[in-house]
Amino acid sequence: MNFESYMGRRVLRLEDARLLTGRALFVDDVELPGMLHVAFLRSDDAHGRIRSIDATAARARRGVLAVYTASDLGDYWRPGPLLVPPPPVPGLIFNAATQVPLARDKIRHCGEPLAMVVAESRYLAEDALEDIVVDVEPLPAVADLEAALLPDAPLVHEQFGSNLAAQVHQRKGDYASAKAAAALVISRRFLYDRGASAAIENRGVVASWDARAGELTVWDTTQAPIPIRNGLAAMLGLGESHVRVIAPFIGGGFGPKIMMFYPEEVLIPWAAMRLGRPVKWIEDRRENFYATTQERGQIHDAELAVSRDGKILGVRDAFLHDTGAYDPYGLTVPINSQCTLLGPYVVPHYDSQFQAVFTNRPIVTPVRGAGRQHGVFVMERLLDLAARDLGIDRVEIRRRNYIQPDAFPYDHEILFQDFRPLVYDSGNYPAALEKAALMIGYEDFVREEQPRLRREGRHVGMGVVSYIEGTGIGPYEGARVTIEPSGMVRVATGVGTQGQGHFTTFAQLVAEQLGVDVASVRVTTGDTRDFNWGTGTFASRGAVVAGSACHAAAAKVRAKVLALAAPLLDAQEGDLELRDGRVAVRGAPERGLTLGELARKANPLRGAVTPGTEPGLEATAYFGPDRGNAASGVHAMRVEVDPETAEVKIIRYIVVHDCGTVINPMVVEAQVQGGVAHGIGNAFYEQLIFDENGQLMNASFMDYLLPTALDVPTVELAHIETPSPLNPLGVKGVGEAGAIPTGAAFAQAVEDALWGTGVEITEIPLSPSRLHQLIAQARGGDR
Amino acid sequence: MKPPVFEYHRPDSLNEALALLGAHPDAKPLAGGQSLIPAMNFRLAAPGRLVDLNALDELAGIEETVEGGLRIGAMTRHRAVELSAAVAARAPLLAAAMPFIAHRQIRNRGTIGGSLAHADPAAELPAVVVALEAQLVLASSRGERMVPAAEFFTGLFATALEDGELITAIEIPAPPPRSGSAFLELARRHGDYALVGVTAVVILDSERRVTDARIVLFSVGEGPVRAARAEAALAGTTGDAAAREAAADAVQGDIDPSADIHASSAYRRQLASVLTRRALAAALGRAVDAAR
Amino acid sequence: MIVEGSHFFPGPRDAVWTLLLDPDVLAKTMPGTASIARVADDRYEGTMAMGIGPITAAVFDVVITITDQAAPEHYTMQIEGRGKFGFTRGKAAVTLASEGTGTSMRYQADLVVGGKIAAVGQRLLDSVSKMMLRQGLDAMTRELEHRLAGGAA
Repeated sequence: MNFESYMGRRVLRLEDARLLTGRALFVDDVELPGMLHVAFLRSDDAHGRIRSIDATAARARRGVLAVYTASDLGDYWRPGPLLVPPPPVPGLIFNAATQVPLARDKIRHCGEPLAMVVAESRYLAEDALEDIVVDVEPLPAVADLEAALLPDAPLVHEQFGSNLAAQVHQRKGDYASAKAAAALVISRRFLYDRGASAAIENRGVVASWDARAGELTVWDTTQAPIPIRNGLAAMLGLGESHVRVIAPFIGGGFGPKIMMFYPEEVLIPWAAMRLGRPVKWIEDRRENFYATTQERGQIHDAELAVSRDGKILGVRDAFLHDTGAYDPYGLTVPINSQCTLLGPYVVPHYDSQFQAVFTNRPIVTPVRGAGRQHGVFVMERLLDLAARDLGIDRVEIRRRNYIQPDAFPYDHEILFQDFRPLVYDSGNYPAALEKAALMIGYEDFVREEQPRLRREGRHVGMGVVSYIEGTGIGPYEGARVTIEPSGMVRVATGVGTQGQGHFTTFAQLVAEQLGVDVASVRVTTGDTRDFNWGTGTFASRGAVVAGSACHAAAAKVRAKVLALAAPLLDAQEGDLELRDGRVAVRGAPERGLTLGELARKANPLRGAVTPGTEPGLEATAYFGPDRGNAASGVHAMRVEVDPETAEVKIIRYIVVHDCGTVINPMVVEAQVQGGVAHGIGNAFYEQLIFDENGQLMNASFMDYLLPTALDVPTVELAHIETPSPLNPLGVKGVGEAGAIPTGAAFAQAVEDALWGTGVEITEIPLSPSRLHQLIAQARGGDR
Repeated sequence: MKPPVFEYHRPDSLNEALALLGAHPDAKPLAGGQSLIPAMNFRLAAPGRLVDLNALDELAGIEETVEGGLRIGAMTRHRAVELSAAVAARAPLLAAAMPFIAHRQIRNRGTIGGSLAHADPAAELPAVVVALEAQLVLASSRGERMVPAAEFFTGLFATALEDGELITAIEIPAPPPRSGSAFLELARRHGDYALVGVTAVVILDSERRVTDARIVLFSVGEGPVRAARAEAALAGTTGDAAAREAAADAVQGDIDPSADIHASSAYRRQLASVLTRRALAAALGRAVDAAR
Repeated sequence: MIVEGSHFFPGPRDAVWTLLLDPDVLAKTMPGTASIARVADDRYEGTMAMGIGPITAAVFDVVITITDQAAPEHYTMQIEGRGKFGFTRGKAAVTLASEGTGTSMRYQADLVVGGKIAAVGQRLLDSVSKMMLRQGLDAMTRELEHRLAGGAA
């Protein structure tokens, strides 16, 4: 090591050589002798009563070993667990209805699994699907969120007597008084529609039961291998230590893979135990559109009360949230929307109520952003409209409302998704805004360039928006660090990795403490055999929580190294340093040992040890933050619109981001770039289009449009660092940052470009066809 | 997404291929497979038999004819057509269309014959060959015949191909003197199916007046649509801005675009006029240059 | 999916009415139909096999129930078709009015389309339904002309 520190260092990712040369194991790479293949029969109807399922012909097909329907599961059939109970908000209503392994009496969404075929190959399994005869009595579908709550609406879950999944009201202050005192009240309806996570790797499960050892091994594309292990053990009557769940390399998670006890996760291991042969199921892309969770339809009726100089007096928001056919993930998404709306602003009075609604659509659980984008969209649009009506510059109105850098910790007084009060730990919002505005040349654009372009007949606009991203929530994660006799350092932690670069960033944290080369640190994630306490990768918490645990465990090992080496080297602990894989006296490097030699000495085969010591150079540590922290940022974009064709071209995209202490800037840049691509997709290309019968009309990439590298600009990124006081490293998460405010930025920029046409954008996503319609309506004098 | 069972043949000669196709009505020819295989994987198409044409080198190749035109073998890959200097010189409209066909990887495998036989209403090549007034050479075990492009596309995914018949080549006449062409397409993303596309060829007389115009749109109906009203609005004019505007308006009477999840009919209509106007401007510019 | 429009038949209304409700005519004229039988006074059942472009042999089991008959002026149909490609379901209303020596038919249908064709075929649903309707109505017109010219039914 000839540099100061690994913190903030652009270390090339250690895992990339394997990934790029095809030597990384993904679930579909698992090949076991005698392995069988599964295909699921999925419902074509969105809502219906199952009269009968006849699998006789399918079972008789050569190469088919079994066909299971709900009745074949016996006692094993039960609804999945409620993963996230609702937070303790007074007056909350919550109706829990979780997904079932195979639909029994009723179908509640398109694609709900009806039967499982196990065969010698996936080809044969799919042939057998065509043999299964299903008799369904179709029922009218619940599709429109408002119609769903009317008294005579068809019911997704009859036992509740309505389609209300939840009702939550959070308040602070007294909005009515704020409204009465306001110089201006902006009131609008905002729409935000569903998107898929569209990870490059679909889901998959392989299970293998070793009857002699009494051990079940499961490979699963899950973001939460430890809870899966614990749940499967309980369901299958096995000891936790007899179940091993491996989440190997995974091609993207983004949230839906933290959803747990998907029907396939529950059924594949069961089938493997029953049939005595390994069983594999790999989701194909068409299935993914129904079988993997998605988000995020909401309808907001929101109101902003402002003073004459643009200061926010209060916000009132009432919104409907589409939770789909079941609500296993509780209220995480709408609570996020509710909390994130407050953003980086001082909002003295807030009244937010939402109703989560059951519909006959696939289940909604968090997808990158997890509901935050809705809150940001509503607040940023309200501010833009207020700025316009008050004649205040839209960057200035934000400046006037920011929580100031000296106001932290800042308590917003409502409850966040981790059930703790929403308190921001640190941030510097004005600095990010200034930087972003400078980078995109906002002042010159507004003052000189845009008026000139307009005179030339060109429609160029800018969007500058601000957001908070709550990250790094608990409950906890753990890590174990071991120095092996070879000198190699092993790190094991319970979170999984779906491309976040944990193999490198965690190695950096450990290498930093132990003074070794980062390449000598091998990180294992996602294997319950190596580490079995933890919850998973979600909510942008990996670096914060698992990273802090790695740091703490490495610090403990460092302490052991010093304690053991000091007497051996006949020195004081304070005189020793860890450098280049050795522990030695500072200034006299020949008086030292390699860490490997020290590890051997720490584990003698003979002799005596001091009572109370532990063998080896190994330590385990856990980290559970008091609450989540608040990353933040500003996005700025420049677009040009062709009003004849309604095409929108994104010319520049700038992100100024604060994720506290940065471990590896390359990883942060990549997360932001990927998030922005995701956000641009959600703003202008991607929309899961369901008709009024709950039918998905674009279940393939022909028609569900993911932006490509040609559609997404390279993000220009700058950092602000306000370390978090909530963990020893000061880090905050960054996984979702790019995706959160993009819709708001896009709407502001396009509206700015079309200034003069009267077009107002209150919905996301847009498309050229929809924009064309809005322009035509505005011209037709609809406003 | 695994296809159902099928039988697979890989003939070594055209005659063998035609014999197989003639003998088995359930046989489908496999060219680039870029449309057929996904349809089979979706289990939308389930041919009992595939006759793989990829060993038939005799069907691939780009020849310059003595008349100044081109003869392109049906199994010629899109990528070869895209890179061909002969195509750029003798059929610039075709060269201009190629980069819009899907993506490079798909163009490496897809073939011109396959695309024409598939006759997708959103495809570029059917409109191009109609605008170029090309002839298609069709062969079966019963013999060979020629069909003009304008008569080849008979409806939604429907062509003049009879049972057991294959396209073997496409013959493109020499570009007329004093002519210019243009190709415009609008898609959501690069490589997507077109929302609307326009191909235009205009031919000027010695007075620089439009003597012939071929305006063929795609993705606005069941196949390539010849915009006769738009062409009539242009005929005899100098192709000035007013004439182009008139043609762009007249195109509305020639098309009946569907609505789908990507575009309303109104939006497609708007695009058809805008793209027609822009394509005519470009084509006329090139025709004027050629007339010099 | 709403499908609506009108069609002119060159023949008297009674003849058109009989034609529209004759299962053999339906079998012959609806595109790709394999077989349709009248199983009850107001109920037809059968199978339809269609092929468009690369989509070969999309087989549907079809049930059509006639309701609200008011001969020869008006009837409503409940249509249900189901196959491995998906399903379609809905109601269609048909009105016939004399127009000179011919008959003007107005139709309006509101159909749910679901399953695979809805999920991956949206790009084509509009064109395909227009085309099938046109082919069917043209074939019916030819059949009507054949009958009126004294041809065997």
